[in-house]
This record gives sequence, C-alpha cells and structure tokens, in this order.
Amino acid sequence: MIGPLRAAALAAALLTISGPDVGPYDIPLYATPSAPAAKGSARLVFAESPFGVAVTADGHARYDAQVTAAGLPAPSSLGAYHVYVAWAVSSDLAHWQRLGLVTNGTSTVGAVTMDKFLLVIAAERDSAAATHSGPSVLHGSAPSTFLQSFQAHTAFFHGVTD
Amino acid sequence: MWTTAALLVAAAAARSSAQQHDTTMPAMPPGMPMPGMPASPTDTSPNGKAPAAPMQMPGMSSNAMAMPIPMPKGMVMMPGLVGLTPPGGTFLPGAGVTPASLPNVRPSEVVRLKDGDTLELSATLVRRTIAGRQYVTYAFNGQVPGPLLRVPQNATITVRFHNRIDLPSSIHWHGVRLDNRFDGVPGVTQQPVAPGDSFVYHVHFPDAGVYWYHPHVREDVEQALGLFGNMIVDAPDSAYYSPANSEQVLVFDDLLVNADTLIPYGKAGPDFALMGRVGNLLLVNGEPRYSLTAHRGDVIRFYLTNAASSRTYNVSFGGAPIKVLASDVSRFEHEERVPSVVLAPAERYIVEVRFDQPGHYALVNAVQAINHYRGEFDGEVDTLGMVTVDSTAAAPDYAASFGALRDNAAVTRDIDRYRPYFDKPPDKRLTLTMRGSGLPLATVQFMNVDTAYYAPVEWVDGMPDMNWLSTSDQVRWILRDDATGKENMDIDWHVKQGSVVKLELFNDPKSFHPMQHPIHLHGQRMLVVSRDGVRSKNLVWKDTVLIPVGSTVDVLIDASNPGTWMLHCHIAEHLGSGMMTALHVDPGPARSSR
Repeated sequence: MIGPLRAAALAAALLTISGPDVGPYDIPLYATPSAPAAKGSARLVFAESPFGVAVTADGHARYDAQVTAAGLPAPSSLGAYHVYVAWAVSSDLAHWQRLGLVTNGTSTVGAVTMDKFLLVIAAERDSAAATHSGPSVLHGSAPSTFLQSFQAHTAFFHGVTD
Repeated sequence: MWTTAALLVAAAAARSSAQQHDTTMPAMPPGMPMPGMPASPTDTSPNGKAPAAPMQMPGMSSNAMAMPIPMPKGMVMMPGLVGLTPPGGTFLPGAGVTPASLPNVRPSEVVRLKDGDTLELSATLVRRTIAGRQYVTYAFNGQVPGPLLRVPQNATITVRFHNRIDLPSSIHWHGVRLDNRFDGVPGVTQQPVAPGDSFVYHVHFPDAGVYWYHPHVREDVEQALGLFGNMIVDAPDSAYYSPANSEQVLVFDDLLVNADTLIPYGKAGPDFALMGRVGNLLLVNGEPRYSLTAHRGDVIRFYLTNAASSRTYNVSFGGAPIKVLASDVSRFEHEERVPSVVLAPAERYIVEVRFDQPGHYALVNAVQAINHYRGEFDGEVDTLGMVTVDSTAAAPDYAASFGALRDNAAVTRDIDRYRPYFDKPPDKRLTLTMRGSGLPLATVQFMNVDTAYYAPVEWVDGMPDMNWLSTSDQVRWILRDDATGKENMDIDWHVKQGSVVKLELFNDPKSFHPMQHPIHLHGQRMLVVSRDGVRSKNLVWKDTVLIPVGSTVDVLIDASNPGTWMLHCHIAEHLGSGMMTALHVDPGPARSSR
C-alpha cells in the first residue's frame, strides 16, 4: 500500500504523459513502394455547414480533407493511369469512398462521413473512377483510428461488460 | 509505458487515500446486477421510461456499493472511484418543502407585449411529474419553459422580477443587445437578487429573432431546473421569413435523474465540472415526449433553443426536409437545406420543415457517442417527440415557397460593411484550456491514458462517474489571453464603442481534458469569419459559437453596445468553474483598423 504523498507523486508523473504529437485533425501520409519519393500530409476540416460543425442526420462528422502532397510522379509512370484520387477507406478495407482528385500541392477533397478511416492516395485511370483499381502512393490514418479499446487496462475496467 | 501492475498500485493508492468516501450511501436495492452481467436494463436516456436503478459494484459492502450515478449501458463505475462523492456536499432545491404543498407546473403560455408594457415575472418552486416520477424544480410564473414573450422589434418592456426561490438569482436576456445595466450579471451589472427580493429590468429588443432568458447565478442549478424561457421578436415585415402554416417553439434541455430523484447539485459550486451535467432525461418544452399534429404538406416554422447545461444536439424530423432560416441574432445570408440541426448550448436556430406525406415523423437527437472504454463510436438516437401528419391537405399549400431558397439581401448588405475587416489580423486571441488539481487519482490516470484521440465534440457523457466527482474547486476552466497570459476575469480588455474586433479562439487539444466550448458574448453580435482557416460562406449574426476541440475560430465582433459584457463558455459547469471574462466596450469614437 502506498500513502497519499506517493499517490500524489504518481498522479503528477501521470500528468506528464501526452498523446501522439499531431493535432486532432492531422493525418501524416506515408509513401508506398510505388512512389518512394512522395511526401504528404492531410488536415481534416469540417465540411461547409451553417452550424460550423458538420454532421450527417445520424451524427457522423462530415470532413473535407486538405491534402498536401509533393514528389508525386506522373501517374503514367506507374502504368495506364492519368490522375491521383483520394479515397477514404474503412478500417477493414471493405469500403472505399471516392473523395476527389489530388495533385502535387494542396487539394481539398471530401466530404468524408466515416468515423474511422484510412486516407489513401492512389493512381487511377480517370478522374471519374468510382472504384479503386490503381496503385496506392500515399496513405495515412484519420486521428479517430487512435480511438482504441482500453480492455487491457484491467486496473480500471475489469467491470466493463459487453 | 505504464504496466498493469503500476496501474493496479495507483488504483489501490487512490482507494487508500480517498478522502471523499461516503458511508451514508443508500443500501443496494435487491436484484441489482453483478459484475460481468449486463448492467440492468440500463437505458440512460429513458425518455418516457423509468430511469435506471442504482447499480452494484464489485467487492463492496452493500452500504457503500450503491452507485448514485447512472452509467452508460454496459459500463460500471471505475473501481478507483467507487464510494467517492463530490467534495463540498450536495443539495436539492426545496429541501424541507412538502412537494404536495407546491403547485403543479404549467406549460408555457404566450404573453404578447407591446412597447411600454410591464410584465411581472416570478421564480418559484413547483412540482413536476415527468415520466411518472415527481420532482421539485423551479419555474418562471409556474411555467416550464417560462412564459413565451412575444414582442415587436424595437419595443422596450419592463420586467419586474421577483425571486421566490431558495437561491440568489437574476435574469439575463440572452442575445439581446440591451442596456448594459439590465444584462442580469451579478457582480458585473447588478447585485444578485436575494430570495424574497425583486429587480426591475428594462429590456429593449433591437433585433428580430428568437432569444431566451435565464438566471446568471448558479446556472448549473437554476437554469437546469427550469428557469428559462423564450422571447420571439417579430420584425415589422410580415414576409421576414418565408411563409409557414404554423409556428412551434421548441426548447431542448435535459435532467440527470436516478431511480427516484434528481442527482443532487454541488452545494459550494458546480459538480460535473469536467464535462458539465449531461442529463439522461431529454426534454422538449419541459416534457419527455413532444407531440404535434399537422396536415399533409404543412410547412411548420420551428424556433429551436438549446437550454441544456452541456449537451449539444443534432436534431432532425423523421427525414422531413429542413430549411434553415436564421440563427441567434439574424437571418442567414442565404437559406439552406440541411439534413439536421446542430445546436450547442445557448444557440438558437429558426428552421422550417415540410411534412409532405401523412404519417409519423419522429423528432430525434441522433449522435455518434464515443465509448472510451471499447474505443468505438456508438450511434445513439433519442426520440424526443413525434409529429403526426394526417391526410388533410395543407391550406394554403406553401410547397413552392418552401422549395425556394431565399437570399436575404438586407443581411448581406448589413454584413458588407464588415467585410473589409475579415482579413485583418486578430486583435485578440484566447486559448481555451483547463487545469485540474485534487481530482481522484483514478480520474487523473484515466484522463492521461485517454489521450490518443480527442473528439471534436463530445455529444454524450461517456464517463459520468469521473465527471460527477469533479467540482469547480478541482477544475478550473480557462480563457487565456495569449498576449498577456492573463486568465478569465483577470483579463482586462477595453475597446471603443463602434470598434470591429477580430477575436481568435483556439481550443487547446493538449489540455488535461479537452472539450468543445459554446462561447457566448453578451450584449453584442458577432460573425464567424472562419473556422480552421476556412472562410465561412454563409454568414449570420451570432451571440454563441461552438468551438470544437483543436479548432481555431475567428469571429468579428460588432462592438457597438457600450458597457461591460461577459464572454464565457455556456456549459453551465464550465462557467461555474471560472471560464469567463469581460469585454469592456467604452463609449467614445472608435478607431478600428482593417
């Protein structure tokens, strides 16, 4: 058993723990082997709404993604491709939502209505591609994907039922 | 990285050092669930249903194991918090009063007032029966919501306020650009109105729209328990809004109740200081089931107000199309079609809804809650009421005008005078943050582990146990002036009357407990110029703006009304935990820079 002073010291130490060093709307993007020189990042902003906070009728946030990319090679260098398209992808990779075209520089695409998603930039055959088919060049995870189970923290949650 | 062993030690320390154990908690009712079992039929938003009974905790004696705080479905109180109660004591209004001796609450009545009229307005105790259970709460003139005051634009009325409740009080005329002496802020514009005393307000209404009145003393208690009402200010132009077959005024609020009673309130100051008190009994106009009948094709104009202490709503009408017309202090530049209406505490919106087919349309609040334990988003839908549409055709039929989206040129012309200031650098910057001290160790541990993701908006209270145990003594919510480092009421901002002030508000996501804040400015109007660097496309004059976690919002204040005006978070418990400052608008010639 430890006393109140030790407990207070523990609390002070715990206060120094911090989360990942990115903002709650930031998505670092990572290059794939298809385009190893590509770099990028994205920032989520609420889609235009008279309420400022944009959500669907059932409450899912609606975000635009401001994608900043550099070093993207010509799509044709990767095959029979002509454009780069940003996709929001569900965590199980089952659902791909087309967000819009991306070029080197900053492109705003959207709106995403998934709660947790990956952001994938992929080469595609045409700008109207409704389904994903080309090689991915950049990818990252939305901040909400950091929302994970605490079930391992049994000191706190051994009473949680499911 | 903290190991499980370290966390166990820390949790044990929290239990051993806890100074707040309550040994007088009620005995556990029979039949309560045990750990590992589903937590009772725990619907924590029991509109129309009996609230959940207290739940039992593992390893505790029956006297200490009953839990007074309803927990979200499938969750129980953290072991490190079991047996604790908020320090400082609690109370309920009307202690010692026999409920049967109190009058039954009445629904809101419309009081039409013209320029020069006088209204007698009394705050009193009443008896309310909600979902079959009886509560003692407050009311204005015996009504919840209080009387709906309907006044013409530019009228001035006199309100003689009589405080007949058991706490000091006042009335703030929210959103109204009135004479500063009557803004209703004790310690700033008046002394608190003691129980038994009276105060006379002269209220001038320069702007058309929907406004509301509420106390500016212990809002976490007085406003939460029914002291609120609306004012509708009618423009002289009968075509100010697009036409509608009828009008409805909806005030959203919530109460936090347990099996038999309201959850008591902090005696010395607000409890639930972390997130604000998020109720589990969602009410519309003071009742758990709003009901309306309409004809097929009716266009109904709804005046919506969020009077809840903390909850942000996302309301819709069973899929019926919604057109948004106006917000706090004006119409929008352009009417818009929207799927739902997001209302932060204190915000108002005026919308029109067309019910084009017979049937039942559920008025719902639909949000994506966060389960911090399982790390998942959970859809929650609260049915707040029902609109029943019969087959009789609407007369007149406003389908065509409803289908059109109007541009309000007068609003745009008014705002055009301020556009030259849109791109100037901010004159003032505020960071929204908080500090905690003396919180239970288990709370500190949890909050520090739970840092991987911050929701821009917390729609529900996913951790009511920790929230309940936090008080305004332990939690200090902060508005920090970036230029001086001064905080809250130590900030001494003076601007000249007529100035156009650009204020940047940044909601720090790295604070101990980041949360959204609906920031309200008294007595002035403001435009949301941009959010996170994205320029607003459809402007409207506001008095309350929601700042999500991590967001930077630039507002342009039309500082036209002299006086000392509060700027504060409208989550009642955040306000009660210090999150307020004052803007002094000094009479004299303005020198606004562009």
